[in-house]
Amino acid sequence: MADYEKLRPEITPLHEPFWDSVKRHQVELQRCDSCGAFRFIPTELCRCGSAASTWTPIAGTGEVYTYTVVHRAPTPAYQAEAPYVIAHVTVDEGPRMISVVVGCDPTDVHIGMPVTLVYEDVAPDLTLYKFTPAG
Amino acid sequence: MTKQGDLSDRLQADVYWEVVKEALDDAGLSLSDVDGLIGSAPEGLGIRASLPGGAFTDFTGNPLRFHATTNIGASAQSAGMGLAAMAIAHGLASVVVIPTVAAGQAPGYAGADRNDAVARMAQLGSPYEYLWGTTRVADYAVVARRHMHEYGTTEEQLAEIAVAQRLGATLNPLSVNGRRGEITIEDVMTSRPIAEPLKLLDCCLVNQGAGCVVMTRASDVRAQGKHVPVVMLGWGEGHGYLDPCKAPSLAGFEGGRVAADAAFGMAGVTRDDIDVAGISDHFTINVLVELEDAGFCAKGEGGAFVENQATRIGGRLPVNTDGGFLSNSHAGSCGLFTTIELVRQLRHDAGPRQVEGAQLGYAHGVGGVSQVQYGAVYGRA
Ligand SMILES: [Zn+2]
Repeated sequence: MADYEKLRPEITPLHEPFWDSVKRHQVELQRCDSCGAFRFIPTELCRCGSAASTWTPIAGTGEVYTYTVVHRAPTPAYQAEAPYVIAHVTVDEGPRMISVVVGCDPTDVHIGMPVTLVYEDVAPDLTLYKFTPAG
Repeated sequence: MTKQGDLSDRLQADVYWEVVKEALDDAGLSLSDVDGLIGSAPEGLGIRASLPGGAFTDFTGNPLRFHATTNIGASAQSAGMGLAAMAIAHGLASVVVIPTVAAGQAPGYAGADRNDAVARMAQLGSPYEYLWGTTRVADYAVVARRHMHEYGTTEEQLAEIAVAQRLGATLNPLSVNGRRGEITIEDVMTSRPIAEPLKLLDCCLVNQGAGCVVMTRASDVRAQGKHVPVVMLGWGEGHGYLDPCKAPSLAGFEGGRVAADAAFGMAGVTRDDIDVAGISDHFTINVLVELEDAGFCAKGEGGAFVENQATRIGGRLPVNTDGGFLSNSHAGSCGLFTTIELVRQLRHDAGPRQVEGAQLGYAHGVGGVSQVQYGAVYGRA
């Protein structure tokens, strides 16, 4: 495992349970204890006004809401992998999550494409979640 | 405004005073008349950046009565003109300067180093975005892709926006891209992909430059007799969802509608009354989406609106006649250049790119990835 040279997440206490769940290869999102809505990115309050939530596993399936194929990357570490696909994915539980789509040709990605979450341990202390075509 | 381009060999503070004095001179005023400031003082040591009003007074010897900033990103200064107008209307200030200056060896997006600018701007989101190698272009590319999916918008329609604005830039000697000549839709379509569907010629410039606006009472401008007053008739802000995962839709931005409705409501005019517009154009898709969100056409009809050359000089609604961020300048709080061009148009001082008989102008600007926006209606008084 080479040194991870890309940008790292900023993990404050509010965000720690999410990244811990990624490390366990089972993403959990906050689910509001009051109205039952899942939310992402992690926040301190549900839109219903309730602060109480429970970290709840999600199925890890969803579909592409929108995407782009990046040719001009922000830093050399990312540029080495260009062109790559960044997608906003609506997961079955409701929220949208952003990540790269791996395991297919960039030209195969389209809006509505079913995808599933996969995990990649990129550094001893960091695991990432990515999407790949379902099935 | 100064020459737009690479000002890295100059001291930021020198350029700052150059444009402030140029704008005051154009207004028939001097530094000692200034009693209000929007935004930053010139760069300097220590606490100067934190207390711009006091820093400014060090140079004028005339204590400011008013200082404010807004947080509308690249449109902070142009949106700040709304605060300046309120201050003047309430007697809190009489002459307010609103400068923007990107010059010298500044880091990041105020600098002249393109790689550094791209890398730094990429991180102006949340970690849940930039982790994946997003750039500002990618942030807008997903908007373009979604808009194309929902409404059938085409890349050629986006390209027309770049073509229209380059035409204006060729008539603007201060612009960065004017000297590069006109471009065609084919040129845009075949320029290299940056973040699909956006290509190089869909993207704004990365450059330095400076400009300044002076605001005072219309009656004072009229009494002085140097210029026809250009009056702010309406103004509004709209602060939409910050996180893209929280926004109900990425095919548009609710803040744009909120800002435009407020501005038009205050001005008491309709979209059809507008003769010329300045619409933040960090990328071609911005113009299309903002025209929709600001109500110049129905949601989803932006493609058809721009397709028949409506935004060119001589079209139904000329937009960014100076070339905009795509072809004129994308320096500092670049929304200010949008306003400067509208002032020229409404003064009938725009030379070969003059929109004939322009009486009413609309400025619309965005910050971030368009989450926060402002709109303003200006009139020739
Ligand atoms: Zn709730």
